[in-house]
Amino acid sequence: MAVTVRIPTPLRPLTGGMDEVSASGATVLEIIEDLDKRHPGVRDRLLDGGKVRRFVDIFVGPEDIRFLDGAATVVTDGAELTILPAIAGGRAGH
Amino acid sequence: MPPPTPPLPDHPILVVGAGGIGAPAALALGHAGVTRLCIVDDDQVELGNLHRQILFDEGDVGTDKLAALRRALVRRLPALEIELRPGRALPDTALELCAGAAVVIDATDNFASRFLLADAAHLAGVPIVHAAAVRWQATVLAVAAAGRPCYRCLFEDVPAGVLVDCATAGVAGPVCGVSGALAADRALDLCQGRAPGTILTYDGERDRLREVAVAARRDCPLCGEHPTIGSLDAARYMPPACEGSD
Repeated sequence: MAVTVRIPTPLRPLTGGMDEVSASGATVLEIIEDLDKRHPGVRDRLLDGGKVRRFVDIFVGPEDIRFLDGAATVVTDGAELTILPAIAGGRAGH
Repeated sequence: MPPPTPPLPDHPILVVGAGGIGAPAALALGHAGVTRLCIVDDDQVELGNLHRQILFDEGDVGTDKLAALRRALVRRLPALEIELRPGRALPDTALELCAGAAVVIDATDNFASRFLLADAAHLAGVPIVHAAAVRWQATVLAVAAAGRPCYRCLFEDVPAGVLVDCATAGVAGPVCGVSGALAADRALDLCQGRAPGTILTYDGERDRLREVAVAARRDCPLCGEHPTIGSLDAARYMPPACEGSD
């Protein structure tokens, strides 16, 4: 399954600044593994072991995967994944 | 001419954090007709704050943010009643702070404070807006007085690891202003009894504002069917080592 993943700004240094990237997989976990191959480091930011970190929300379309099957949630071809991390605040200025 | 303002609460709106998000939120609330604010902060203005904390100027550097913010607000809104509470919201003070408020605005800079305020507002039965910004992203979540869905429904607990390197993340000044303005808007919604049950995300790199529906978790420890958080135990809010002040 090919899907589009919306990358939040805190993760864009890992995707070369891209806000949307493509990835493949039948489940959210497989998609994250594929993302990590294309953009190393993504997996560690999103997963703790095989589970999505508690302070990261992932939506498949409008659905929060917490209410589906978590990282095992099945995705369909053409789906759109949105990653929503908890953010607190920043210190150094831009 | 501003739009007609619906009746606003007699109780103060509590703004926790007088920095890049809290200050513009306070200003927007004052201009919207809110008559009473209570502002909490323990920090001083630094030169490196000025790009995003735009109510302060070089003359404020080295002074308390609370005093500097009051000066900036009173200059524009002389009738605004402002109570200053120096210090941080802590487990032994947060409940009392929240209990007297019409709405709480969480404009803090660390996860421990965010979860503490989420819990305190819920236990006090007070609505809360969580507003955050890092790099080019802002998020704003409004939680009704009934407390569902809450911050813990979405983000569960104080992170044991971090998605972003706190020491180098930084934040773009305009993104803080957007976050503060959205926080004020959502606070006014809550004052009118409106809670959309969504989280707003703003992407300052692509200039996109999105609204994502948030659902209440049945197993949420704060607002779920069998809540386990009934008090503010300090051990619950231990921050990761990298967190610091904004």
